Amino acid sequence: MKKTLAISMILALLLALVSMPLSAQDRWDGADDLAVNPLACGMGDEMMDDSDEMMDDEEDMGMMEYDGGQPAMMGDDMAGMDIVLVDVPKLVGIGYFAATTLGQQQAAEELGNVSVTTDAPTEANIDDQIQVIDAYITQGVDGILFAANDPVAIAPVLRKALEAGIHVVGYDANSEPDAREWFVNQAEFNGIAKALVDSLADQMGADAAFGIVTSTFTTPNQARWIAEMWAYASECYPDLTWLETLEAQEDAVLSFQQAQTLINKYGEDMDGIFAMTSVATPNSADAVQQAGLCEDVAVVGLATPNGMKPYVNDGCVRDVILWNPVDLGYAAVYVTRAVVDGEFMPGDSSVMAGRLGELMVVNGSEVLLGPPFVFTADNINDFDF
Amino acid sequence: MPSAPRNPTVVEKLRRHLISQEGVLFMIMLVSVLFLATRTDKFLTVDNLLQQGRFMTEVGLIAIPMTYIIITGGIDLSVGSILGLTAIVLGWSWQELGFPLELAIVTGIASGTLAGFVNGLFIVRVGVPPLIMTLATLALFRGLAEGISKARSARGYPEWFFELGQGEFLGIPTQLWLLIVAVLVFGIVLARTQLGRALYAIGNNETGARFSGLTVNRYLLLIYTFSGFMSGVAGYIFVSRVSTTRSDMGTGIELDVIAAVVLGGTSIFGGTGSVAGTMIGVVLIQLLKNGLALSGVTSDATIVVIGSVLIFAILVNNFIQTRRGGD
Repeated sequence: MKKTLAISMILALLLALVSMPLSAQDRWDGADDLAVNPLACGMGDEMMDDSDEMMDDEEDMGMMEYDGGQPAMMGDDMAGMDIVLVDVPKLVGIGYFAATTLGQQQAAEELGNVSVTTDAPTEANIDDQIQVIDAYITQGVDGILFAANDPVAIAPVLRKALEAGIHVVGYDANSEPDAREWFVNQAEFNGIAKALVDSLADQMGADAAFGIVTSTFTTPNQARWIAEMWAYASECYPDLTWLETLEAQEDAVLSFQQAQTLINKYGEDMDGIFAMTSVATPNSADAVQQAGLCEDVAVVGLATPNGMKPYVNDGCVRDVILWNPVDLGYAAVYVTRAVVDGEFMPGDSSVMAGRLGELMVVNGSEVLLGPPFVFTADNINDFDF
Repeated sequence: MPSAPRNPTVVEKLRRHLISQEGVLFMIMLVSVLFLATRTDKFLTVDNLLQQGRFMTEVGLIAIPMTYIIITGGIDLSVGSILGLTAIVLGWSWQELGFPLELAIVTGIASGTLAGFVNGLFIVRVGVPPLIMTLATLALFRGLAEGISKARSARGYPEWFFELGQGEFLGIPTQLWLLIVAVLVFGIVLARTQLGRALYAIGNNETGARFSGLTVNRYLLLIYTFSGFMSGVAGYIFVSRVSTTRSDMGTGIELDVIAAVVLGGTSIFGGTGSVAGTMIGVVLIQLLKNGLALSGVTSDATIVVIGSVLIFAILVNNFIQTRRGGD
């Protein structure tokens, strides 16, 4: 009797789960329904113009007010003095954050008056990260750099740091704006979208037909990118043919199968595949390679260099879009130094970041690293993550 | 060696307490604390210790029913997933279904309790071994949480909601009061009531307990449901503390909890253990984590040290208990 009860309860739970209605799609499959902000048309070579245009956009909309937080004044001015920073990425032990750490060490060495230590949990766990930051607040440091595992969960402990007079700068993954002073944004959604679409149009022509392999239709980042791609392509490449979006979770086998499905279904008619995750990209490339279609189907996607080296080095894939995490870590340290020195204040529209030059402020309190980085056969072997 | 039945003197009583499981562990904790205090002056301060109390409350609360369960020779691996499920149901019923927040909290904890009840039901009625059943629901409940939330998080709670997780009452973190009360009540329940005795009996010899007329199934169902309930409460506190809900909340917490329980002297084979020992285990692990971090040991090195201390503490305790058994 009780057993039946329990089983029926579980069934009910499962049923409720399955029958949840998929949200209505009024955009291309896999896109979200938030506002889009496509960048001006143009090929990827005009990187500098690109950022100028972005600034124009920014001015058109009116500069957003600074919305970051400020540390409590503790009296002593640290301008030009030696400062101790701690860097708390989402986790340690993976290539990506090893690369941001490398960039931070490069910046610290160049500046000479900054020391940075990286310490974070070995798993991307919100609570462990909070406890690590809390311990550094107790210990007392001059600044905290972070890449948040969760934007809201990390906010209280960051506010506590600000209250203790510690400078707080984020990179890679943001927190609530008022819990930190600045966030170094590695790439805006519209920038990534533009780079992806430009790359495909450049390789296969402005009338190419393509499919998309994404994680799921509701994964926030992927949905945002697809929405921005849709907006950018409608404006700049109206002749592109959008075939189909397939979900592949973040699963290697499924990604391979979904890419194969696209190849088999559309055959000659398909010129390209957009792969939206770092799992989907190498596996889509693998599927294309195994089908012997490297010349006919261009795979363009977001991925880390290590996974893509085989396909880029043998010419099957031309462009891999991402950002440069070494520069990202480097910029975070320069921004923090400038903040401590009083050279970068709320309301400023740009900041100087060593070898990266002048970085623009966007969205109120974010520093934009620049246009996305395109890994090609020329540079991909310089990266290890 | 047989001894004359006489009242033990104060010294003997003290000695017996000192070389008990809990006593030995307590001393290891004392030594660790003193050692850490010499490494950094930031560690042994009231503020820092209270903050650690805040951080360890969720693990502490779940460790109580886990002690009960392990004493009966069982295990519950699904507690972290139940915590996550509770958090998601709380946030989802509030934000998506439009429940008042108070009702959403109750719904969340109720769903955690129900999850524990399902565990217990299958273990008792179908006879699935606890390890297998809760390993299955570890995946199942997490999957439910992910499915319900669709990888979205619920945030934007009103101010009063954070009182439990981030506020203070009489200078002590609010949730720590809850832990203290729970430890006292359920510690006494285990040590001094019929229920407690029954749990030990089941752990020592389940068949024997059945033949002695104990309603074993009812007790087991009760403690697995209790485990779901406490995981639910911990989930609520966790959401209140970090001010958001995510489906990956509580991932891996079952290992922290089991480590604390076993370190606290509860035998994984059942039959022995106490809530006091478990709490010393919880506190020891938390203080080590924090103290090492404050003395500049990085997180990856910290987990190595904690693992070593776990093994060391269990070895020392085993050694002393064996010696003691001989006298």
